[in-house]
Amino acid sequence: MKIIRIDKKEWNPGLTQARQSYRLVGPVADEAGDVAEFRTLDAEQMPDLAAADTVLSPKAIVYPQSEVMFEYSTDPGDEERNILKRPAKAYDACAVVGIRPYDAAAFTLVRKNFDTPDYRDPYWCDAYEACTFVGLAVNQPDSTDFSTSVDSGPFSEKGLDVLLVDTQDAYLAKVLTEKGEAFMTAADWQTAADASAEAAINDLQAAAEAAIQATVQYDRIKDLSILDLYNAPFWEDVGFACINCGTCTYVCPTCWCFDIQDEVRGKIGRRFKNWDTCMETQFTLHASGHNPRGDKVMRVRQRFMHKLKYFLDKYEDGLMCVGCGRCVRSCPVNIDIRKVCNTMNSYDPEACACPV
Amino acid sequence: MSSYIESIRSIAEKWLADGDVELVIGFRAGSMPLMNEPCLVRTPAGTAQLVWDSNCGINLANYITGRKEKIGIVAKGCDSRNIVNHIVENKISREQLKIIGVPCQGMIDRRKITAMVPGEILEVREEDTAVIVKGADFEETLAKADVLQQNCAVCIHRNPVIYDELAGELVAEQDGIDRYADVKAIEALAEEERWDYFEKLLAPCIRCYACRNACPLCYCPTCFVDESKPQWVGKSQDPIDVRTFHFLRAYHCAGRCTDCGACERACPVGINMRVFTKKLEKDCYDAFGWEAGLDPDVRPPLDTYRPGDPDAFIK
Amino acid sequence: MEHMGVAPGRIHFSWISSAESTKFVEVVKEVTDAVKQLGPNTRFRKTDPTNSLAKVA
Repeated sequence: MKIIRIDKKEWNPGLTQARQSYRLVGPVADEAGDVAEFRTLDAEQMPDLAAADTVLSPKAIVYPQSEVMFEYSTDPGDEERNILKRPAKAYDACAVVGIRPYDAAAFTLVRKNFDTPDYRDPYWCDAYEACTFVGLAVNQPDSTDFSTSVDSGPFSEKGLDVLLVDTQDAYLAKVLTEKGEAFMTAADWQTAADASAEAAINDLQAAAEAAIQATVQYDRIKDLSILDLYNAPFWEDVGFACINCGTCTYVCPTCWCFDIQDEVRGKIGRRFKNWDTCMETQFTLHASGHNPRGDKVMRVRQRFMHKLKYFLDKYEDGLMCVGCGRCVRSCPVNIDIRKVCNTMNSYDPEACACPV
Repeated sequence: MSSYIESIRSIAEKWLADGDVELVIGFRAGSMPLMNEPCLVRTPAGTAQLVWDSNCGINLANYITGRKEKIGIVAKGCDSRNIVNHIVENKISREQLKIIGVPCQGMIDRRKITAMVPGEILEVREEDTAVIVKGADFEETLAKADVLQQNCAVCIHRNPVIYDELAGELVAEQDGIDRYADVKAIEALAEEERWDYFEKLLAPCIRCYACRNACPLCYCPTCFVDESKPQWVGKSQDPIDVRTFHFLRAYHCAGRCTDCGACERACPVGINMRVFTKKLEKDCYDAFGWEAGLDPDVRPPLDTYRPGDPDAFIK
Repeated sequence: MEHMGVAPGRIHFSWISSAESTKFVEVVKEVTDAVKQLGPNTRFRKTDPTNSLAKVA
């Protein structure tokens, strides 16, 4: 596998060159200047790699918060009436530069949901397949990063086409896939790194992984029965503080639920797909008026059971979480998934006592 | 501040042990610096986890609506005013509550502090009027007055207005404060500029509704944004729908908002949505001389008719 | 609303009883004229990026 050395002086010229064949997406501050997010860069704009730890995950690149699924007209005078028209959207080649490894890994996890043998979600899949992911390894993980305990990590290669490692005066680029190869060629970054590159990367990786303090254990969760966990007595304590907003679900790179809704004006309509959150009261409201998760604690329990148990059981491929720590940082009432996971993992249905 | 903690714990313990309350709502230590987690304590032994410091900005009055038990609750100035509001609005009865009043000297703003230091914050300590912030390779001492939450900086009701026992001595109220300096600054802008100001303010909004859900006033079983028959507000990211959510929510808080700041504190993207409610608070004050949540026996102006009510705008 | 930048003169209040039909007619005419003079509202309307809803009056 090739390792290319990109001298930092070649960074801007390379991206400028790559722009000719790719739409560039990267982290930049928003208009107000405070909150950084992953967006399509303007013609001359460069990604701000120092701001790559965005509040919102980059999932919006592939899965926008509001997306028009199709449009229609019921106007008898319209030749194309009653035909559902998917809006023309450019799924041009896009390069996501500076994405964190755990966020790229999250996409592969979410893909299990949107790209199955039975059904392929065209909106998510078309957008995902158009992207080339040029990730940036995390040399200094922060205190809420627990990616190494959930099959990811600061240098994880899952879901990436290129992994960039910052070594002060250069980026060492591990070219992982053909798509990655194509991008490097388009940017004209072709200088092979010397023999010491691999060791340099390994050293940085070891240091980063050692710096991760936060961990979660989930080895016992797979053996605990769903009902035991579901009926456990700690949920009220875990979920009391929750205010049932959508913050955790919206910042999470592995959350994927959406709501479908039409907006109609006269004889013209559009069907939208909007992010939805299982934390919301109405999430499971039935047309009959019955709501199986009408109680706050039921919804909190659902979120953690989904992420840490149901997904684990269904796919047998780890938790539905990549350890990015965004929910921990953004939750207004400090509900901490690390604590919850460890509480679930250490639960003993046989024992009578439970922590207050 | 540590004396507050002792008082809160011992009062809560006593009430639970004597059966005066079935549960106590307070804060326990968070898993991250500058954060605390609201918690429910049901046993006297459990009161050992209760804490109090300048990171208790979330409004605990948010957690009592609809509960039927006898509840003990820790309440600072603004929280207590929201409790009065709940009583006035029949969401809870005074008899159900036993309130530990906490005279407050202001809560600190996590976002502000984060922006003032050069790296990730790993530890925070408070000492009198200083906030000492430590990271992997820095340690800074900040003046608490410089890092207060915006609403705390202009607060004129720091002492609880309703309580059964106090956790500490009453504090002096701030005076000479212009509560509406920020609103006036916006009022002074031209119309086009005002439109743009609010456009920019709301651009990062992700409709997570953390502001609404953190607000003790927002207790409607079905919020107007969730109604679908008819659908008042769209659910997409259309900027007009986002703006409508915010200003219409502010309208629903008119004459009721106590400026507790929980909305701003909860927002994951740092929107200062108090500019909406502050304007309405100012209007209520100017038009009716009204401040929300001070007296459980007085009906608010927006649900009483007085012949002298201003009506020059009605033709 | 004006504070937010919606032009003054687009929102009017009046107190009309169901028995005051003539007043109702007058007020409706007045408000319609006042708003028409301000011209089409350009700010407080939902965006339509695809322009597909432009066909609707």
